[in-house]
Order: sequence, then structure tokens, then C-alpha cells
Amino acid sequence: MGINSVEPSDAELVRRVRTGDTGAYGALVSRYRDRLGRYAVHMIGDREDAEEALQDSFVRAYRSLARCDDPARFGAWLYGILVNRCRTTGARAARRRRMFVHDAQALDLAAHADRADRLDWTDAVDRALARLAPDYREAFLLKHVQDLEYEEIAELTGAGVSALKMRVKRAREQLQKYLREAEHV
Amino acid sequence: MFEREDETVERVIQHLRLPVAIDAGLDARVMREIAQVPRPGRRMKPLWPLLAAAAVLATVLVVRPWNWNAANAADTLQFVLVAPQAASVALVGDFNDWDPARSPMQTAHGVWATVVRLAPGRYRYAFLVNGVEWRADPSAPAAKDDEFGTPSSVVTVGGRGS
Amino acid sequence: MMLAALLLVTQAAVQDPRLERLDPDTRGAVAAVVDSAHGVGLPVEPIIQRALEGATKGASGTRIVAAVRRLAADLGTARTALGTSAAEAELEAAVAALRAGATPDVLANLRDVRRPPLTIALSVLADLVASGVSADSAAAAVLALAPKARDADLVEFRRAVERDIALGAPPGAATSVRLNAGAFDVPGVTNTQGNPNPPRRRSRP
Repeated sequence: MGINSVEPSDAELVRRVRTGDTGAYGALVSRYRDRLGRYAVHMIGDREDAEEALQDSFVRAYRSLARCDDPARFGAWLYGILVNRCRTTGARAARRRRMFVHDAQALDLAAHADRADRLDWTDAVDRALARLAPDYREAFLLKHVQDLEYEEIAELTGAGVSALKMRVKRAREQLQKYLREAEHV
Repeated sequence: MFEREDETVERVIQHLRLPVAIDAGLDARVMREIAQVPRPGRRMKPLWPLLAAAAVLATVLVVRPWNWNAANAADTLQFVLVAPQAASVALVGDFNDWDPARSPMQTAHGVWATVVRLAPGRYRYAFLVNGVEWRADPSAPAAKDDEFGTPSSVVTVGGRGS
Repeated sequence: MMLAALLLVTQAAVQDPRLERLDPDTRGAVAAVVDSAHGVGLPVEPIIQRALEGATKGASGTRIVAAVRRLAADLGTARTALGTSAAEAELEAAVAALRAGATPDVLANLRDVRRPPLTIALSVLADLVASGVSADSAAAAVLALAPKARDADLVEFRRAVERDIALGAPPGAATSVRLNAGAFDVPGVTNTQGNPNPPRRRSRP
């Protein structure tokens, strides 16, 4: 009716935080928590480390809010903090690319190691993702999962657009390959 | 059956795009941490970053002491064995590749001891006396699975995962 | 398909140099277990440590290989019960709990009622059994305490029970006395039978 109930923009919320309304930051956290959390979880591969990185990033963003030049682009700025934070997180049970040895016993073992007779597809995806080199995984997630434009990703990561396109292409190829391998175990 | 390349990758993308549940308590934790930080937006004075850091640090310590300890990720433990007749005692376990040369123990009046830093985890260990005799730690829980036929003990260090 | 798999590259990217303490045959078999465990995403450090333990203790190659195969399989069972986000330390503690007699359902229930890491809770369960408490009683006690107790409380509980047992109390009685004496409200778990909580539906991660 009379009152406009559209949610406040990022710029508006940042403005409020800067004038002392700390609570307004909570709205920004809510707004970005799940989307950025999804990136962190897939990038880092560990839920707890991802949540810690996410929490850390929100706090850092708050503390350096004065340095956010364009409040309307708070989201991109926060992304940059998170992407960097995910890079520095310590590897935890990192699954690196390896060839593996099979012998009959080991295959038997693998079959019994998991309740289902074959690996869950989602487990295979998680493992395949974890096997990608970090900068491939980062580019792939930002482009295809987080839906950022190449120009935006270039800003966040400091890499050039064509380098990023190559990374995404390689990531796609490798995921395809790893998932094929997983099917044949 | 082989899917077309694009199809496999598209399935992966659709799966990864599904919402991921982030712990709902995260919002509160963020707000609690920033409550200690003086409000942003003002011109920062040189002393400010130090104060802000100290405030956040204090918050973390007060609000989550257990996690802070865990974030340091290691505990220092002393292992002790009373063996007055022994000429040498070594501590061996999952934390030192079961290598007797890594943690030789020192003795005073028949009490052998050494100190080890351990990251969070559960560790099997034992004492090797005179290079030949295996002894469990009488003051620690026993490791039930002694599949090599000699006694072992267990120590568990808490904290966040591995 | 199996033949093709056998012809697959048979060399780990980097074989752990610590395995050189083993004789060549044992080393190869252990490396195979390590690699296939790694291939299914299980932590390999516990497996390596188990092999090194065997080496230091002068165990035969056969025994060492059997031990690491059993451990790898148990790690897989533990991970199925706890989920793929379980940390290495949790999986190791879970293996100890399983070998102490806890069922995979108990592990899954613990996961449902307690925030990770579950390392201490699982260790306490295993250690209680090592002290003489029955697996059922230990599981019931830990599950009863798990929702609210901090890790330090669980450790203290275990120590208190061990002290009581050392002083002559029967293990089952020691457990339930300690549960009742604590500040924890434990409806339904005050008898020495220690019936585990009924299993809950759990959705896969």
C-alpha cells in the first residue's frame, strides 16, 4: 500500500553499518551466507573449515568495511575476501591426483569398504572436485556454480580472462575423466 | 554406457549448484565477534588495528576457549613410566612412526619421562624397554586391538579434527 | 574390466619412504592397500602407522598386511557410518569404537546428536569398553551424554568410571552410578542393562 517493503540494498545496509547500526551487518551476513558458503564448502572440501573460512571472511569484511570503495558492490568485495581466505586455508585430508594400484584383494576391499556395492555418485563428484588443481577448481566453481562473469572472476582472482577460460575448460575435462574412472572401479 | 561429455559435466554442475546448508549459528557467531570491534566507517587511527585485533582475540578466547585451543591444534603431553631396572626406555607410537630413536625417554630415580606435542587425534603407543620388552602405559586406557601380540595404550587429544 | 584395472598404472605418484622399513613383498602389498584406500577417499596415515607398528614390533609380513587390510576395511565402515565429512581423527576413533563392539548404528546415532568433532566421544566409548564396561553400556552412556556434554566432561566421565572400577565397582554399576551422579538428566538409561537408544532415521549427506 503506502509503505515500500522492498529489502534494503547492499549499499543501503553498508551505509547504515558505517553510521553505527551494527545490526544492519547481520542482514548482509544472512544475505550472503548460503551462497558464499556453498562456494567455500565446494572449494575447501570440508564443511567445518569452510564455515570457519566463511565466518572469518565476514568478520574481516566488517573490520575493513571502511576500505570498501563501492558499497553497491559489497558482494563482489566480500567474494574477494572469501576467495583469498579459501586459498590460504590449510589442506585438510586433501585428496590429490594420484594413480592407484589395484590388486584383486584391494578391489574386493574397496567393494566392502563402502556399504553400497559401488560408490555414491555424489561421493565421486566430491572426490573428483577435490582432485582438481586449486586454481582450476576455483575458476570452475566461480563460473559454473556461482554464476559469475569472467570479468568478475578476473577481478576477484587477478587472473586474465583467457587464462580463466582455459582453467575452466581444463576443469571440465578433468572432472569428466575422473568420473569416468570412478565408474570403472 | 558413456554419456556425452557435456552431459556428465552438466550433471556435476547441477549437483554442485544445490543449496548447501550452512550452520545457522554462524550468523550469531559473526555478530558476536564484530560486537567487540569498534564501528567501521570512521577514519582509522594508527593504534586502531591493534586494538581491534586485541578485541577480536579476546572475544575468541572468552567466547570459545575450547576452539581456540583446538585452533592451535596441538597439546603437549608428558609420558611417564616407572622402570627402575631399565637401562633404556623409548616411547613409540602413531605420532612418531613407531621409531624408537625418535622419543627416547629421560630418567630420574627410576622414573622415565618425555614430553611430546600432539595434534588432535587418537594415538596408539607403547614403551619399549631395553630395546626388547614392550610395555603398555599402566595409567592410560589400553588399546584393545593388539593384533601384533604386544600391549599398547591409547591417548586421545581433543580439538577440531585432524 | 579387472584386467584393465590391473594394467592401470601401478605406481603411486609418490610412495611413502617410511614404508621402506618393510621388506619388498610386504611393502608392495601395504602400498596397494594404501593406494586403494586413498582411491576411495580414506585417510592413509593410520594405515601407514599400523604397518610401521608391525615393523617395529617385528611382526611377520603376513600379519602386517592382514592388519592393514583389516584397518582399511574398518575405516571404510567408519566412514559409511559417520559420513564423508568425517575427519581423520574421528575415523580413527570410530574404528576403535567399532572394534570395542559399538555398532555402526551407534556411530550414526552419535553423529545425529552431537556436533563434530566426535573424536573424544568415540574414544571415550572405546576406552570405557577397554576398562571392562560392556559395549552396550558404554554406547548407552556416551549416547546419553553426547547431546549436552562437552568433550572435557566426557573425558572426566570416563576417568571417574575407571576410578570406580579400579576401586572394585562392577563396570556396569560404575557407569550408571556416574551417569546418575552427574548433572545430566538421563531418562531411561539408569539400569545396568544399558539399552542403547533406538536407532534414528538418518538421511545420507
